[in-house]
Amino acid sequence: MNTVVITGASSGIGLEIARALTGRGCNVLGIARSEANCNRAKERLLSENPDAKIVFFVADLMQQREVIRVADEISEYLNEKCNGGLYALINNAGCVRSWYMTTEEGYEQQFALNHLAGFLLTYKLLPALRKVNGRVIMTGSESHKGIRVRWDNVMLCRRYNPLTAYKQSKLCNILFAKGLNDRYAATGLRAYVVDPGLVNTDIGNKETGGLVSFIWSLRKRHGVPPTVPAKTFAFLCDQKTLPEGLYYYLGKEKKYSKQVTSENANRLFELSERLCGIRYEKAGMA
Amino acid sequence: MNVLITGAAGGLGRAIANECGSRGYNLFLTDINEDGLLCIKRGLERQFDIVVATAACDLTNAESVDRMLDIIDKHGIRFDMLINVAGLDYEGGFMKREREDLVKIVLLNNAATLRITHAIIKRRRSGKPFYIVFVSSLASMFPMPLKATYAASKRFLLDFATSLRQELKREDVNILTLCPGGMVTTQEAICGIKAQGFWGNATTNPLDCVARNTIDRVLAGKSIYVPGKLNRVLSFLGKIIPRSWVAAVIYLRWGKVTGNHSVS
Repeated sequence: MNTVVITGASSGIGLEIARALTGRGCNVLGIARSEANCNRAKERLLSENPDAKIVFFVADLMQQREVIRVADEISEYLNEKCNGGLYALINNAGCVRSWYMTTEEGYEQQFALNHLAGFLLTYKLLPALRKVNGRVIMTGSESHKGIRVRWDNVMLCRRYNPLTAYKQSKLCNILFAKGLNDRYAATGLRAYVVDPGLVNTDIGNKETGGLVSFIWSLRKRHGVPPTVPAKTFAFLCDQKTLPEGLYYYLGKEKKYSKQVTSENANRLFELSERLCGIRYEKAGMA
Repeated sequence: MNVLITGAAGGLGRAIANECGSRGYNLFLTDINEDGLLCIKRGLERQFDIVVATAACDLTNAESVDRMLDIIDKHGIRFDMLINVAGLDYEGGFMKREREDLVKIVLLNNAATLRITHAIIKRRRSGKPFYIVFVSSLASMFPMPLKATYAASKRFLLDFATSLRQELKREDVNILTLCPGGMVTTQEAICGIKAQGFWGNATTNPLDCVARNTIDRVLAGKSIYVPGKLNRVLSFLGKIIPRSWVAAVIYLRWGKVTGNHSVS
């Protein structure tokens, strides 16, 4: 039985991935911020499928101390019930902000949640993932194209633009996946990014306001239901031998931005390690 | 440049600390929230090549402030800038708030600010200009029913800062009063701004701009900074319209926002 961790699993795309994977008999460990939403999601999944193996962990992944806490709880759970192995980690949790807002560390929130949280969680769960040649899947976006990482001002604390911050964080998702593959693909672990397309979820209406919320309310109506991208995640989890692509849309490989180079991936890896106060282990040391 | 920031673990404090960090200033941060202080210290040290010292302190408690000053003196730290961010407000009409909460507003926003300002001016670096920022509010421009204590406490800061600026001009002390509208610092702030509808959004100031411009302006020797064109118009109107009229208009507006018209 395969164990999968999904962040942002109580609503939107994350919930649909949880539904698809519990339906395949996976043991799903969901992470979400609100206990009430976790309970509701769990009830819903169990009412549709009484055999669903679903456990929720409550954590606000925006804050690094919460990422570390929940990762330790999950590691303990994996050691007790799953022989310490983790089949897949799906870094799906993400947010949109209308304004420049910071985390407890003073990091810009979209960068902190959309990229750093996944970076730190993956680091913490890496031993469990490498144990079973696991896979790491990020929820990316086509909006990662047409932008570079602002290396001199990655938190955009000067002239904040919400869309720039979002696009950059999604570019970081692919760069992170590329960096993981450069380091660990040879030893059996692989990372992927899924482009969900335009999906009808509430991401642009949570804790946003004014123009951002208004535009998203209009835009999301044209989106597909979250069951559509969930299939691509399930597809990547289904493959017995790890596919070699990086960026997937509707179950197929897709072209990604020219900015996705090993040089940029390394640069982001080093910056993110510094911002999280961690250092990924060398590939040979598994 | 050595900078002391109070209320450094809060939203505005963190944004200003980031701005100072990006300029390479060394920071001494204080806040009542010790965990928050350690988080922002970690974040700043990871981002910038600066020295960050912290001391958790309840500024409304004289002994707690003395303990912090002891640490400062023991290390012989001298400052070039003081940024008074620490402050608080409780929502609701005067008679709907707890008595001691009301007193706390004045104790922190005013009494504690005087205490720390006096102590840190005494510990300024000699022979160099000294800079002080007081975080007042757009609310300081008007009498504000339903936010009466808060607005008056911010008015105190504005008037005090203007006078102190004159007193200390010859000693090369530059004092800026920051009077922002709403700022999106927390989830509650977002709810508050949404509740105010159009005016909430229109008077909201982006945190990144406010932090950057505040430091630019105090260094340039400016006396007051009201961020945002609309806010500058509103503060001008506050000066020319009779204060009792302003109070009546604001009572109507905040009454709608807070559902607080029926004062018991």
